Amino acid sequence: MGRRVFLPHPPASRPALPLSITGLRAGASHVTGRTGGAAPGGGWEPGRAAGGDSPVAKLPRTGARGPGPDCPADHPEDTMSLKAFKLVPAVEREMLMGDKARINVECIECCGKNLYIGTNECFVYHFLLEEKISSAGKITFAATKQLHKYLGFKKAVSELKAASALNRLLVLCDNTITLVNMMNLEPIPTGARIKGAVTFTLNENPMSGDPFCVEVCIISVKRRTIQMFMVYEDRVQIVKEVSTPEQPCAVAVDGHYLCLALTTQYIILNYNTGISQDLFPYCSDEKRPIVKRIGRQEFLLAGPGGLGMFATVDGISQRAPVHWSENVIGAALCFPYVVALDDEFITVHSMLDQQLKQTLPFKEGHILQDFEGKVIVATNKGVYILVPLPLERQIQDLLTSHRVEEALVLAKAARRNIPKEKFQVMYKRILQQAGFIHFAQLQFLEAKELFRSGQLDVRELISLYPFLLPTSSSFIRSHPPLHEYADLNQLTQGDQEKMTKCKRFLMSYLNEVRSTDVANGYKEDIDTALLKLYAEANHESLLDLLVSENFCLLTDSAAWLEKHTKYFALGLLYHYNGQDAAALQLWIKIVNGDVQDSTRSDLYEYIVDFLTFCSDQELVWKYAEWVLQKSEEVGVQIFTKRPLEDQVKNSFNPDNIMNCLNKYPKSLVKYLEYLVLDRKIEKEKYHTHLAVLYLEAVLQLKSVTTDNCAELTETQTKLRSLLQKSDFYRIHFILDKIKGTDLHMERAILYGKLEEHDKALHILVHELKDFSAAEDYCIWSSESKDLPYRQRLFHMLLSVYLNPGSSDCELVMAAVDLLNNHAAEFDAARVLQLVPDSWSVQLLSPFLTGAMRESIHTKRMAQITLGLAKAENLIYKHDKVKLKGSPIILSDKKLCQVCQSPFCEPAFVRYPNGGMVHTHCAAKRLVNPNMTHHSQT
Amino acid sequence: MKPDGKVVLLGDMNVGKTSLLHRYMERRFQDTISTVGGAFYLKQWGPYNISLWDTAGREQFHGLGSMYCRGAAAVILTYDVNNLQSLIELEDRFLALTDTASADCIFAIVGNKVDLTNEYALLLETEEENRPEKPVTSCISTKVQKQVHLDDAVALYKKILKYKMLDEKDVPAAEKMCFETSAKTGYKVDYLFETIFDMVVPLILRQQAEGPLQTVDITNYKSAKRTKSGCCA
Ligand SMILES: Nc1nc2c(ncn2[C@@H]2O[C@H](COP(=O)(O)OP(=O)(O)OP(=O)(O)O)[C@@H](O)[C@H]2O)c(=O)[nH]1
Ligand SMILES: [Mg+2]
Repeated sequence: MGRRVFLPHPPASRPALPLSITGLRAGASHVTGRTGGAAPGGGWEPGRAAGGDSPVAKLPRTGARGPGPDCPADHPEDTMSLKAFKLVPAVEREMLMGDKARINVECIECCGKNLYIGTNECFVYHFLLEEKISSAGKITFAATKQLHKYLGFKKAVSELKAASALNRLLVLCDNTITLVNMMNLEPIPTGARIKGAVTFTLNENPMSGDPFCVEVCIISVKRRTIQMFMVYEDRVQIVKEVSTPEQPCAVAVDGHYLCLALTTQYIILNYNTGISQDLFPYCSDEKRPIVKRIGRQEFLLAGPGGLGMFATVDGISQRAPVHWSENVIGAALCFPYVVALDDEFITVHSMLDQQLKQTLPFKEGHILQDFEGKVIVATNKGVYILVPLPLERQIQDLLTSHRVEEALVLAKAARRNIPKEKFQVMYKRILQQAGFIHFAQLQFLEAKELFRSGQLDVRELISLYPFLLPTSSSFIRSHPPLHEYADLNQLTQGDQEKMTKCKRFLMSYLNEVRSTDVANGYKEDIDTALLKLYAEANHESLLDLLVSENFCLLTDSAAWLEKHTKYFALGLLYHYNGQDAAALQLWIKIVNGDVQDSTRSDLYEYIVDFLTFCSDQELVWKYAEWVLQKSEEVGVQIFTKRPLEDQVKNSFNPDNIMNCLNKYPKSLVKYLEYLVLDRKIEKEKYHTHLAVLYLEAVLQLKSVTTDNCAELTETQTKLRSLLQKSDFYRIHFILDKIKGTDLHMERAILYGKLEEHDKALHILVHELKDFSAAEDYCIWSSESKDLPYRQRLFHMLLSVYLNPGSSDCELVMAAVDLLNNHAAEFDAARVLQLVPDSWSVQLLSPFLTGAMRESIHTKRMAQITLGLAKAENLIYKHDKVKLKGSPIILSDKKLCQVCQSPFCEPAFVRYPNGGMVHTHCAAKRLVNPNMTHHSQT
Repeated sequence: MKPDGKVVLLGDMNVGKTSLLHRYMERRFQDTISTVGGAFYLKQWGPYNISLWDTAGREQFHGLGSMYCRGAAAVILTYDVNNLQSLIELEDRFLALTDTASADCIFAIVGNKVDLTNEYALLLETEEENRPEKPVTSCISTKVQKQVHLDDAVALYKKILKYKMLDEKDVPAAEKMCFETSAKTGYKVDYLFETIFDMVVPLILRQQAEGPLQTVDITNYKSAKRTKSGCCA
């Protein structure tokens, strides 16, 4: 998303009715707060306060200054002042003029330690400026006068510029630039000079490349003329003269580009090509223009309405303007600040966000210039230096007053002034501090982002929360501290709601970082802290944390979980640390109600599951009894659901298990079912055992219930199913057990198993009188057998029905139904012999139709088969005739097509295309590529 | 960081330029004070950084406009739909400022403050998908008759093409480049800026292919400058 680079105005409110105040918006020039903020007595009088403490210190911290004449609204934010500069006296009035009150400072130049001052009485003073830093870090300047020199005119010295490579000082006085020696101020012997200059400037980005030459640009006394000179040690040379569309009144140079203030506008003029470009209109007669080169190809200009405008040599603006007062006298740049002077104040704006950062009252100032990064201001009587405070200090100040945004902007800008390595360390720290400021204001999103980009050691954050870091952690907070808080209690001042919010933030933050690089090296600390937070907040993620890969420290975490009665979680922790016995012991306590933890209502099932997959045999056997006692049906799962390989390898073999299950009949049944039905183990022992158990259960149920209860039906179904499907149990054994009971069906099944179908059918028909069961019996008994077997059964049943001994009409009906419903299962011819003559055709019509259809169908199918076979036979015959068609004559002149030798035996192979070969050759070449059929004669 | 392209908002004071930018960049509407000089934002649009310049509409700062427009890839001419004069000013006062813009500069005409008109409710109904964040259901009686209609803006757009000596066929259609917005409710604000950014991207690509714009600009300056005479026949 977009990044806000510049906030044009602080959010001050505009008066309510926009239309009615248009006049005010445009024309009001009321200045608010300008004098109000100054010290009593109308601000600081330079000179008078010189001996005292720092003049700036006397000012109210909030340099109250109105926003400027065009903004009627107050800018509350602007009054938040930053200390970017300190004003320090450099040359005091006594040093300069002694008792001569009429001497005024006209111009200054500073080059290294050399400070030059030009006066209204045509003197040039030379001082050496020594910077001193007191033990308390206070900076002072001591100027020692070297000499002064009278230039011999009645005019003021209007400009001074040093060319240190040439050891020359350029002095503009009386429209003439003279070259003097920088050290002794003596004019050079050649007397080289530039005449007719109104003002001049040096090209700080010269194009010549000659280190012993400076490029000087003058505004000539000749109207509308600019001249370029090359100035050498003792000569000058004009290189260019350009005329301008209007009279120029201020100039700055960069490379080939002149930035000019003309009478009505600013322009950029390339003196090499003569091409010019308008910047913007400005009436130089009304207000003094300012043209200041501030860096490669960029200028700072005084604009309309007190604006400080930026423009590049290409005529575009790359920065938003700063807003000065209307009557700025001078401007200078000291990155990242634009410093401006008007008749009452020095103002400091940031180039980064255009905001006013500092205001220093300064009366009667008339010069403000920067020399190699040193900003110097002067009144008529004294010279002062604006000492920038170290950026780090400024940033810290901003952070202290919680102005995070500004601090970060400044810190980023500091990149270019500070060595890379040092910067990175510093910047990270600032980001972290900024993060904590946001954090303390509960602005977690911002905080998180800053912590992330500042690569914060998470433990710094964790350590704010009491008791979260493990006792074994070696962490010590960084020094100096990143924030002012001892702990969360202090930060939130005991506000529980805030505390909760902070904890929630930490939870989500730790959860996010624990799997990233940030966690490297302190995973234990992070996970333990997270566990503690989750446990305390009763957070569901506690369990997720414990069942996935984690680094929670056992002792610390265990104590904490116990304290918060998270016994289930504690069990998980034990398990994660390989202490399954402890885990189980604890969980069983919960199920038994010895300790309270309602995390899982299905904890018993959980334990069963746990044991099922537990590879510690001893443990499983130890708790098997407990599990089975709790629930025979569920508990048996520890055996039945156990992975197969586990069951064969070790002590979980069926014998051991059944031994254990003997006390738990329901479990035993389940287990046998598992062996017989699921695993399909074909062992007589298990099958018989299961059948017996079913049987006993059925009998037992029958003895206690009269009605057909569901359980009985179910068990009985299972019994029957087993008896029917299994081929492994001892039939006679079961049959013995069944004898004398009313389990007729079962008995029938058992007889069936013994292939004693007549007995079985007898039971079904005569004892049970269940005809459909009898039919079913015929079907399932012959399920895997062939048709005759089945027919035999059906005929057998039919015979039972039609047994001449009984003339039971019910049985006759059953016989009729049987025939009619299963026509296909009978041999119709035999049936017709069997049925009594008295039966009408109608009675048996479905059977007869079915049998007829079946028989016709069979006949027709047979005919078709016959027809097809005949057809096939015919084809072969045809082939044969064809092959026999023409005689093949074999003589000793014929050669085998493969080996090209004659035939010496009567046997040969002839391919359908007529080719003849030896039998052995044909055998060798199994496939002749162009012959698909071959025959042997 | 050097921006890849520049979009400039021009228009009379009080039409809502600053408010539009605020709404788009900061997703809210708040009280503004009349802009002093100018201000700018950087907007990341795909891989490009587009600088968005807010200019001051006040007469006092009028002279700065040409410089701000220099090399611009798009100019958004803004007026207030309830103030006919603000549209007239666009032609009389602001159009000439765009002479310094890039030769293939895109022009958009934006009528702001539609929320104050009695047509607004109607607009909302037909533009369901562009719902502002809060429905404006305040009583219609406080609304006023719109002073400037979209047709007027379209007419101005065509005049601009004439002034720039551009063929209607070579540029986006007038109907596409005339917008009505409300910075207050957010109505069509995103649509406005996103439409323009999408159009600016090919321009950036072309400029990048042709080499750095700034150096080209100054040498071409004199020849590229168009005069007003002869274009308004
Ligand atoms: N009702 C309504 N009011 C608006 C809208 N947009 C802006 N305003 C109001 O109009 C006034 C002017 O808005 P600005 O955004 O400051 O106007 P501007 O074009 O930037 O003005 P200058 O900076 O002086 O050139 C403010 O009071 C805004 O609250 C809008 O869409 N609807
Ligand atoms: Mg504005």
